[in-house]
Amino acid sequence: MTERTQNFVLLALVAAAAALLPLFAGSYWTSVGLELLMWVCLVQSWFMFSALTGYVSLGHVVFFGLGGYITAVLWGKTAIWIAVASGGGAAALLAIAVGLPCLRVRGPYFVMLTFGLAEFVKHMVINIETAVDSFGRVLIGAPDVRYLFWAMLAIAAAAFILANLVRFSKFGDGLRAIREEEVAAETIGIPVGRLKAIAFGLSAIVPGLAGGLMVMRAGSFDATYSFDPLISLTIICMAIIGGGDSPRGPLLGAVLLVILSELLWSRFPELYMVIVGITLMVFVLVLPSGLSSRISRRKKSPAPTAREVRI
Amino acid sequence: MLTTQLLVGALVSGAIYALMGAGLNLIYGTTRLLNVAHGDLVMLGAFVSWLLFSTLNVSPLISALLVVLVFPFVGLLIYRSVFTRLFQQKLSAERIESNSLLLFFGISVILQNVVALTFTNTPRAYQYLDTVVGFGDFGITLNRALALGIAVFAVGGLTLYLTRSWWGLALRAAMQGRDLAAIVGVKVSLVHELSVAIAFGLAGLGGVLISTFEQISPFMGFTFTVSAFIVVILGGLGNVLGGMIAGFLLGAVETLGVALTGPSYRSLLLYGAFVLVLTLRPQGLWGKR
Repeated sequence: MTERTQNFVLLALVAAAAALLPLFAGSYWTSVGLELLMWVCLVQSWFMFSALTGYVSLGHVVFFGLGGYITAVLWGKTAIWIAVASGGGAAALLAIAVGLPCLRVRGPYFVMLTFGLAEFVKHMVINIETAVDSFGRVLIGAPDVRYLFWAMLAIAAAAFILANLVRFSKFGDGLRAIREEEVAAETIGIPVGRLKAIAFGLSAIVPGLAGGLMVMRAGSFDATYSFDPLISLTIICMAIIGGGDSPRGPLLGAVLLVILSELLWSRFPELYMVIVGITLMVFVLVLPSGLSSRISRRKKSPAPTAREVRI
Repeated sequence: MLTTQLLVGALVSGAIYALMGAGLNLIYGTTRLLNVAHGDLVMLGAFVSWLLFSTLNVSPLISALLVVLVFPFVGLLIYRSVFTRLFQQKLSAERIESNSLLLFFGISVILQNVVALTFTNTPRAYQYLDTVVGFGDFGITLNRALALGIAVFAVGGLTLYLTRSWWGLALRAAMQGRDLAAIVGVKVSLVHELSVAIAFGLAGLGGVLISTFEQISPFMGFTFTVSAFIVVILGGLGNVLGGMIAGFLLGAVETLGVALTGPSYRSLLLYGAFVLVLTLRPQGLWGKR
């Protein structure tokens, strides 16, 4: 069984089990599950662009926030699914529009650029909202958390499938070639510019959709929450903790950090962030290839490539 | 009259930006470490000054001296315990830069939240020399005038040090070519530590100066990191002197921009400049590509 088939079987089992959760668990655990699924969406979408190409995006929250904003703006004016889908579409458009100039910048410059861009869009939205005098849009009549859970489960599953399709395809091989040596990749005829832009656009859709759902969960739109730069940081932390060159790695990281956040966030938010910061540093220094590489090494599967997640 | 007043405002913030940019640039220029926690060091300096002033009534001038003496050792401690390990990993230069960014991001988050945990999120301020003095047709509060003076003094001192002393020569040599500098006898590891120490001291000093005339809070660092990066990129990474000019330029753009649009547009202006500079001229104003 190839790794991709393995992943799909795993997904089918987990998703089927997860779909039953809202029927048995109360609304508290359903919303914890919703949060976990949101992170799965975000980290999978980050994986299919940043882990594969080596272009670390420290601003993925911008797509999440934009999706939320579009959904909030369209709320009550169109059907819910149209509002959410427009959020995903707008995020992809933004990614392609900014991707063309931004993706020429490599390495640390790109990291800083994505961060700055996310903050720029955040302040732009804040200023627009102040100008039209509608700060704190309230979404009246948002669906119950159970429906949001199922919708998020569907998006997370789609994100996982998409990440696997990208990773185990010729397209994904091209992206990984860019990561290993962009100049060489271009020399042997890989259209690096187009590949990067498509991957960036693809990886923006899922956060856009997830942002729309989470705004419904919150019941109102707040730019400082939806565009919180800490969301981008958490995504990177999850991806690094999980590590590896397969969409399974980030999944592991997401589960671990959500458990940690569940234990600490509500009571000691600052302490939680301190621990996240320390975890990030420890993993970068000691275990840059993440936990999943450790696990697969123990199982004596084909040699794990220690350098494969390029951060 | 309005324009003279704006010019003074631009000078004050420009001097502070130049000070911060110089520190960031020194670290990057010699060690290739991207210190995204630079603004949080500024925040830390500001909190030291506020704490000493409000509990023991220590003058910010003494705090400034204290910070300039102590922060370099904090820098050395972090550098030796964290970043020498990074260099041991034998990664490509590009990965060292990206990983150093993530490590400093971790440090930044830790610093912010430890300070927030200790002193809560409430913005703090204290009153020090806040009388206005007039010179001809414009006025300036004494604390701003003092901050301007000290910042110019520090930036000027650094310039002289870099251009006129042996140590400064070694530093600039290490920036231009690490391996070549090592061949001609520059002890590169020592130069690295020296620049980290100076940069941490300058960041702390900047914080003390800012705390005398602005509100401070645990999460104020981000904006300063961003403005310091704008300054450094505009002036050219590793080009300390260019960064100083860029600092004053950014101060002018920001002050004039806010005066024309309004204070709520400040962040928008800042990040807009950041994005523009990175996409249009990542090699800096004077750089060639």
